This record gives sequence, structure tokens and C-alpha cells, in this order.
Amino acid sequence: MRYHRNRIANYRETREYDAQRAANQNSLFVGACFLLFAVMATYKEASLATRPKTLDPAEYFNLSPDYRRAEEKRAALRAQLKRQYLQQLNNPHRKELIEDPALTRWTYARTNNNYFRPTAKTSLIGGLFGVLPLFALYLVFKTDRDKREAKIKAGTYERPYKLST
Amino acid sequence: MLKVLIPTIMLFPTIWLTSPKWLWTTTTAHSLLIASISLTWLKWTSETGWTSSNMYLATDPLSTPLLVLTCWLLPLMILASQNHINPEPISRQRLYITLLASLQTFLIMAFGATEIIMFYIMFEATLIPTLIIITRWGNQTERLNAGTYFLFYTLAGSLPLLVALLLLQQSTGTLSMLVLQYSQPLQLNSWGHMFWWAGCLIAFLVKMPLYGVHLWLPKAHVEAPVAGSMVLAAVLLKLGGYGMMRMMVMLDPLSKELAYPFIILALWGIIMTGSICLRQTDLKSLIAYSSVSHMGLVAGGILIQTPWGFSGAIILMIAHGLVSSALFCLANTAYERTHSRTMILARGLQVIFPLTAVWWFIANLANLALPPLPNLMGELMIITTLFNWSPWTILLTGLGTLITAGYSLYMFLMSQRGPTPNHIMGLQPFHTREHLLMTLHLIPVILLVTKPELMWGWCY
Repeated sequence: MRYHRNRIANYRETREYDAQRAANQNSLFVGACFLLFAVMATYKEASLATRPKTLDPAEYFNLSPDYRRAEEKRAALRAQLKRQYLQQLNNPHRKELIEDPALTRWTYARTNNNYFRPTAKTSLIGGLFGVLPLFALYLVFKTDRDKREAKIKAGTYERPYKLST
Repeated sequence: MLKVLIPTIMLFPTIWLTSPKWLWTTTTAHSLLIASISLTWLKWTSETGWTSSNMYLATDPLSTPLLVLTCWLLPLMILASQNHINPEPISRQRLYITLLASLQTFLIMAFGATEIIMFYIMFEATLIPTLIIITRWGNQTERLNAGTYFLFYTLAGSLPLLVALLLLQQSTGTLSMLVLQYSQPLQLNSWGHMFWWAGCLIAFLVKMPLYGVHLWLPKAHVEAPVAGSMVLAAVLLKLGGYGMMRMMVMLDPLSKELAYPFIILALWGIIMTGSICLRQTDLKSLIAYSSVSHMGLVAGGILIQTPWGFSGAIILMIAHGLVSSALFCLANTAYERTHSRTMILARGLQVIFPLTAVWWFIANLANLALPPLPNLMGELMIITTLFNWSPWTILLTGLGTLITAGYSLYMFLMSQRGPTPNHIMGLQPFHTREHLLMTLHLIPVILLVTKPELMWGWCY
């Protein structure tokens, strides 16, 4: 995740630098969104297709300019992530797995127990499965063995197996 | 004993004076030579007693199988480490093999010791090389945490043991196992004596590990490099079992009452850790928890103090040592290729590595105690003697066997069967060295089917 953020941070610096110099935009998607909100005329969908929601001006009819700017930034992030993934996916020399940060997070969460919190429910489960069986088993074994010991002392215990040792 | 100990000590000059081109060849050959010499210990001169040339180092039918296992494991550890240590500078490679050889020396002296205090000193001494191996050559940042847990759990358990041994020396005047086995039973009837009893055993129970104090084991096994995992799983856990078997001789009759909590913890631990195995995503963690499960069975067998329990415990210790080490080697081969221990990332391997799938198959079948392998022999003896002790234990041990079969098959099916993902297709093929490593692990297990008397201990 840090890798993605660094890339986007670099991009953002580049973008602000470009904006300062009023240079061309880097990404076609970002350019389209920016121009859409500025001009709303450059994107033209195919003749029988519907316009995607993120580029439909009707969707943003009653939203504030702040929200539109935030939405534009999020679209830029998504576009960058998608671009990075597609670059890796279509690289003909790639042999290894594309690193999935969600998988890394999942394995880390599964193997490290930092995500355990003692609540009432977990304490009940822990006590029921971890503490209660120990005492229950102690009672079971102790009574069984004491009964056998009493029978041995009284002389009534029949040995069920004939073991030589 | 000296015919093995002196070549092992001479392994240090071998490591440091060989030219870098021949380092691995020479050390592997030297340690294989030591392993073959150690096989001569299996010929016992007296039927049940000690074989010794002096008063301080001796072998008997209990320690001999463990000694042979230790000596056999060193060449295997060196074989397994060859690949991942190769990129490092030559002096660091020599240091790594030196740590393995020093571990070997301490273990031989520990298993061969006749004085319990010498066993204790060697028991503690094995902690240092293992700690260095885990914290220096482990692969993730969690290795520091793992080293801390490993060191402090074992040290905290063994400090009471030191006090207990000194008290024993005060009361009986000797700590030699040769003498203590003939001593009068001790008068153990007060609260202080109960603490002494607990102090004698807690160190070994932590090392085994017993279910309640097992937290160090998954961390240490997972974070250690392959040789560290092998020696931990195969031999260091057995130090705990061996120590318990030696100490039990003089702890009667208090053990009848005081052993109940530990037997119950061990039996319940089989089921709990087996169930945890079914939910693991990390392959080495699964094998580590399966070690806890098997050792719970061993602890239960020892604490019952019957002949079948002891024999079953030794057989299971030897068989588990070889099989668990084999499984860690297989997990390491997957890790070296995919650089991840996640099970779902390395699946469907049977299609591309068919011979290795055979090793996975045999190792997993051995882990789930398939007859006629010695794993079943040991487990069956312990389960039978536990049933004799109290018939209700069959519920726990039977369920434990079922869960063991469950997670062993889960491990096999997850890693070998199923569709092979695309990123696995381009992996490096298996080296002859790795196949040799697996055969050297699994052939002794299969050969032990034919002559189990080597492992039965002094009860037969």
C-alpha cells in the first residue's frame, strides 16, 4: 500500500507542478474528468452504449463543487491503480505473481493475533473451550480413577487385560 | 562415546580451515561420517543397563535412539541450508555451520550425560546457538519476538529446575542417574515437596511443549530458517521428553496425584492444537502446531509412568522427529521458490513437481500415523496405555487422531492437488540435493518398521 501511496504522492507532486506551469495533464481519465467538469463536451459515448456513472453530468447535478473535486481525485487514484495493475498484467516478461496488498494484509491479520480483543463473547468462548474442559476432565478422570482405586483396595477389581508387563 | 564426541569437536576446525569451494561438501561428508559412527551405539553391550566407558558419559536404550537421531540430523541440516546461505559471505556461512555443529555437540553431551546437572547445563547451552540461528538468520521481522519468546519461556521454566536439582543433591548426596535409579524412594509429603516436584518437571513441560505453555513454539518454528526449524522440531523438543523420563524415576509417589493437571492439559492440548491446525494459513505454522499436538500425546504417555507409556513416548519422539523435520524441509522448498509461506499461494504442486508430491504424500501419511510406520506404533501404545489408565481418555485421543488425519490430509491436498495457478508454472525444478534430503529423512522411518526394538527403550 505504501508503494501505491508513494506513486500517487509522486504523481501529485508532478500534477501540481504541471498545474503551476499549466502543462498538459498526464492521465487521459483525469483529463477527461477535469475537462468534463470544466467543459462537459469532450467525452462522447458510443452510439448505443450508456454513459458511465462517473462521467455522467446528471449524477453530479445537486452535488457541491467540493464533493466534485473529491470525486475527481478519487477517480484519479483509481485510474492510477488500474494503470499500474494493467501494466503488470500485460507485461510479457512477467513470470511471478502480481503482488496483491489485500492478500498481504489478510495473511498478516491471520497470522498475527493483534486483532484479538477480549470482549464478553470471546471471554465466554475462551472460558468454555479453554478453562471449563480442564476442570471437567479433572473431575471425570479423578472420579473414575478413585473408583478403580477403591475397588483395588477392596479387592474386587477384575483386570480386563492380561498384560505381561 | 568419545569416538563420536571427538569427531564432532573436530568439526569446528574442519569448518574454519576448509577452502570455500569445498566447505559444504566437506562438512556434509564429515557429519555423515559422524552419523555412521553413531550407529554403532545401537549395539547395546548389556541388555537393559548403561553402556559407558567412564562415569560421566554413557548411553542406555533410552538415550541411544535420540543420540542417533541427533547425529543423523546434522548432515541433513547442512544439506537443507545450502541454498539459502549461499549468497552470504564465506565467514558468515562458516559461522552458521559452526552454530549447527555446536548445537550438535551440546546435544550429544546432553543425551549422553549421566549427571543430571550436566544434562541441565547442556539443556541450557542448546538455547544459545538456537537463539542466534533464529534471530540472525530468520526471514521476517517477527524473528526478534520469536527469539524472545523462545528464550524466556524456556529460561523461566528451567530456573526452578536448577533449584530443584540443587535440593536433590543436598538430600540424596548425588545427582548421577546411575546411582539415583537405585536410591530409596524419597519421603514426599509436604507442600514444599510438591513445589519441588513441579520445579523438576516444569522446565521439560515448557520445552515439550505442554499445551498451556506452548506459545513459544509456533513463533520459533515459523521464524527460524530451515535448519533451525529442523533441529527444533526433531531434537530440541525431545530434550524435554527425555528429561521428563529421567526425572520421573525419582519423583514417585507424588506423581500419582500431581500429574493430573498436566495429563489433562496435554490431552486437551492435542484437540485444541489439532483444531488450530485446521484453520492455519501459514504452512510452517501448521506443521509447528502439529508438533505441539504430537508432543501432547508424548507428555501424556510419560506422565502416566507405565512401561507402555514410556516405550510409546520414545517411539513417537523418534518417528515424529524424522517426519516433522521432513515436513519442514518440504515447506522450505516451497518457501524458497515462492518466497511466501501462505498455503494458498503454493498449491497444485503435484502437476509440476511429481516426485516431490510423492515425498509430500509419504510425509503426510506418516504424520497422520499410518500403519505400519513407527508413528502409529508410538501413538497406539500411548493411546492403549491411556485407555488402561482411564477409559474416558479414548474420547480425547480418538478425536485427536481424527483431527490429526484431518489436518494432515488438508496440508497435502492444499499444497499438491487442485488446479495449478499460473504463477507456479515457472518455478525452478527440484534439485537432486532436495530429493536426497527427503529420502534421507523418510528411509529411516520406513526402515524402523522392520526393527522397532531399536526404539523401545529399556522397558522391553
